[in-house]
Formats: sequence, structure tokens, C-alpha cells
Amino acid sequence: MKRSRLLPAVTWIYVVWSLLPVLIAIRFAFNEGRSRTTGQGFSLRWFWTDPTLSVRNDPTLASALEHSLVLAGLSMVIAVPLGTALALGLQRWRGRGSGVSNVLMLLPLVTPELVFAVGLFLLFTSAFGFIGLGTTAQVIGHVTFSLSWVVLIVRGRLVMIGRDVEEAAADLGAPPWHVLRRVLLPLLGPALAASLLTVFALSIDDFVVAQYMASGADTTTVPMRIYASARAAPTPALNALVTIMLVLSLAALALAWVLGRGRPVEPRA
Amino acid sequence: MITVSNVSKHFGDFTALDDVSLEVPDGSLTALLGPSGSGKSTLLRIIGGLEWADAGSVVIHGDDVTNVPPQKRGIGFVFQHYAAFKHMTVRDNVGFGLKIRKTPKDKIDARVDELLNIVGLGGFAKRYPSQLSGGQRQRMALARALAVEPKVLLLDEPFGALDAKVRTELREWLRRLHDEVHVTTLLVTHDQEEALSIADNIAVMDNAHIEQVGGPRELYDRPANPFVMGFLGPVAKVDGTLVRPHDIALRTQPDAGTREAQVMRVSHLGFEVRVDLELSDGKPVFAQLTRYEAAQLELAGGDIVWLALTGDSDARLVSEDDRLDAVA
Repeated sequence: MKRSRLLPAVTWIYVVWSLLPVLIAIRFAFNEGRSRTTGQGFSLRWFWTDPTLSVRNDPTLASALEHSLVLAGLSMVIAVPLGTALALGLQRWRGRGSGVSNVLMLLPLVTPELVFAVGLFLLFTSAFGFIGLGTTAQVIGHVTFSLSWVVLIVRGRLVMIGRDVEEAAADLGAPPWHVLRRVLLPLLGPALAASLLTVFALSIDDFVVAQYMASGADTTTVPMRIYASARAAPTPALNALVTIMLVLSLAALALAWVLGRGRPVEPRA
Repeated sequence: MITVSNVSKHFGDFTALDDVSLEVPDGSLTALLGPSGSGKSTLLRIIGGLEWADAGSVVIHGDDVTNVPPQKRGIGFVFQHYAAFKHMTVRDNVGFGLKIRKTPKDKIDARVDELLNIVGLGGFAKRYPSQLSGGQRQRMALARALAVEPKVLLLDEPFGALDAKVRTELREWLRRLHDEVHVTTLLVTHDQEEALSIADNIAVMDNAHIEQVGGPRELYDRPANPFVMGFLGPVAKVDGTLVRPHDIALRTQPDAGTREAQVMRVSHLGFEVRVDLELSDGKPVFAQLTRYEAAQLELAGGDIVWLALTGDSDARLVSEDDRLDAVA
């Protein structure tokens, strides 16, 4: 049978089509002129050098970038330890209710983001009104939806590691905290790194939850800033911001993928 | 000595151990032999503190350890899949238990070197487990377990993940090691040849019970019941008598107490010759002859022969329907 050329052709057309807008947006980030529609040479003006309008020098853009990074950082340092502890607990829990909790744990992965965000909004403006809206609410939101991913990644690794090593360490006299610190955590290393970067990428990318939990200008994230100014009179500085975002999340995901592939943990001599 | 008294263990509706008692003599190499699901691994894990018994007690060298956590039992445990600490070098793996005991570093190094030499991994201290073969990893695991000078050594199917050749080598190596080190050792296996070839003492388990305890010869020559007899080696059944196929002699002439049969097939398996027969009532049976016996008889398919039971009558069991109750 002759192999069809149609399938690869359609695939390539799709790939180009899906990347084209992104590539165009990136192209204009490096534009020398103000236009976001016609090519006018290459420069780093909109990233760095423009005295008032570049990402570096426009306070609204710079503060959005900073706030996004702060949110991502806080989400990482809270979600990863919490998720790891949950994964270790769930792995050991064998009694009644463990099956149900396993399924519930995965629920946030399939819950529509908007439903989740509206739910949190109502919670923080009524029952948990003392928390209110703002950075704290945004962090809680990001930690909540990224926790499931951490649990998923860490549990996968725990299954690979197996219970044998913990039991071996225990019989050799290691108390539980020692087993955790000297044996489990080092073996979990790749999963922890993958979790950190996944949480980073999820947080950096999020628009819906951050938007609902926001309380004002100082809680504006990059996606919110982009959304707000895209329909106004944007300069290529917005494209520059998009480019930075894209590079950061792609780098995080690529690194997470490399670290989480389940390679052997030990270095090769 | 390890003394297990009236231990029971259930996992949900499944009974893993039902009122099991066992004594493992000091300095012995004892095997727990049984099919999978017979409870042998559970018994070993209860002795090692990795499972808790629902009832009963475990005493190691006079100390009741029934409620003692694994860390304080002074046990060396070796797992089927090595349980190597993959992020540590061979040296750090073997020295792990000593480091926890806050042994000075120079003493740890000396002891690790000594053990690595004993297990034949002298030049491998700086390697990582992934750079070792399966057999080497298991020897590392054994050195790690021995490093803390355990009161007892527990081995859970230690050669189960290795290929046949390495398994045989390592089995003989363990026997020699035990002759040197003399630590009381309990080994779980489902391989009767492994148990018979290295253990001083074998406890045969089936269905959450210990069926019989004894030395290899005792178990083989005087099995307590059809299960033990069948698990330790091939069994032929002649008119309700269970007998080892090598205890069936073939004659070319009838005699008092002989039984007529027809030769169906003769298979030459090297030293052993297997003769498949059909009794006059149509039931199949097989005999094992040496090649010299077979050569004298000059058997061929279709020949009529007469069976006589030879050997020790204690090695035979009478069975109506392969059940234990027929033995009494």
C-alpha cells in the first residue's frame, strides 16, 4: 500500500497554523518601530531600552511581571511540600475512604477553571471574608489547583521507588524522619523538581483564577495585564511581555519534562 | 533462636497465617518453603517487624519483640528486588546502618571494606547500584544487612529475580557464607531444590499453615502428608499409594506383589531415564530409572513390564484422593 502524503501534510499545516500567531507576536516584540502590524527592523527597545514604554521601564508592565513571578514563587514553595506530604500520606493510607479520596484528589484536574474560580470568589467574599481578595486569595487559588498535579507526579515516582527501600532502611535502624530525609526525598528528587516547575508553569499561565481573586492594580498579573491592554492602544512592549511569559513557561515545562522522565536517579560514571 | 508462637495474620477476608508456631535454631540456615500465597513471606515480614501479627508472639534470642518496631529488632532483611538505595554508592549503601548508629567514620570504612571483600565486591565501593548486575546488587544488599551485625538474617526470595545460572551460583555462595558467618538465617523460597540444597532445616508451608518441619532428608524420606511429598519432588501414584518415581522398579517377569503395566514411552534425559507407563486399569504412572538400569531392561514402547515398589516404605504415603486425611 502506498503511504498517504495527506496525513503528514495536514499535520504540518496544522502545526504552522497553530504557531503562526505566536511567531508573529514574537516577531513584533523585536520591532524597532511602534507598529504591531508592519515589520520595522529589529531591536530590544520594547524589552529594555525604551525609557518609558519598555517592559523594564513601564511600571504597569514591570509590576505585572513581578507580581506574576511572586505568585508563582509562593505557589511553588507552598504547593510542592504540601502535595508531597499528601502523596506520602495517600500512599500509606489503606483503610476505608482511601479509594474515594484518591478519586477526589484528581477532581481539580477536570474541574472547569471558571467554575473553580467563581467558587473561590464566593468563598473569599462571604464565608471566608476575613481572607478577602488579593494576593493571599490568588496564592490559595493557585496552590489549590496545582496541588493535584504535585500529588500525581510525586505518587507516580513513589510507586516506582516501591516500599522496599523504606522497609530496608527501617530494618537497618533508621527512624522514620531519617528514612524520609536520607532515602525517600533524595529518590524523589526528580519528581520534586518536576513538581516545582509544573506549579510554576501553571501559575504563570493562569488568567481566570488570578483575575477573580485580584483586588486592584498591585495584584495584576501578566496575563491580566495583557488581556486588559490588548484591546486598548498597545505598543510592541505588550508583545515583549508575551514573549517573556512564553519563554518562561516553555522553559519550565521543558525542564520539568527532562527531570520527570524517570531517568535513573543516580549519576553515571 | 527465633521462636514464633501461635501467630495469626489476616488481610481483610484473607487468612495469611493461621495459628503458626515455629522455632529457628541458633546458627541454623532455615528455609520457609511453600507455594505463593502460602503465608511464608508474611511470616518472615512479621519476624522482621514489617507486618504486625493479629495474634501470637515473636521472640528473638529471648527478647519478646512482638511489639518492637523494626528499627529496634536488630535484624538484617534482604528483599527479592534488592531494595538498593539507588542514590548512594555501594560504600554508602553498606555503611547505612552503621552511620545511623553513629559509628565513627574510620570504623565504618573498615567494616564496609571487610564486608565488600567477603561478598566479593572489593573493587566496587565507589559504584552506584545501577552499575552492578542483579547478582552483585543482591550481594551488596546482603553486605548491607550483615554490616549491622544482626541477630538474625531474614531473606525474602533473595534469588527470585535472578536468572537460573546466577541463582545457582549465589545459592552455593550463600551456603558457604553462612558456614563462615554463622548468623541465624531464615530464607523464604518457593523453589524446593533451593531449600533442599542449602538449608539445614526446612519448614514447609501451605495455606497459612506449617505442614512439616525437618531436615532435607527427613522431609524427603518421611513426608508427613501428600502436600509435602508432592512439593519436595515428583510423585507417582500406584493403586492409591504415593511413591517416588525412582522407588518404582521395573521387572520383565511377574513376581509376588508386582503390578502389570505397559510401556508407553521411554525418554532419555541424560543420567535419568523416564518411563511413562499405563497400568492395566488405564491409569498413567511414570518411573525414573538410571541409564544403567534402563540399559539392562532394553525397554521400548508397547513392552509389558511388572512394577515393584522398592525403597523405604516410610517414603510412601497411602492416599485415597490426594488428601491428608487418608494418611492416618
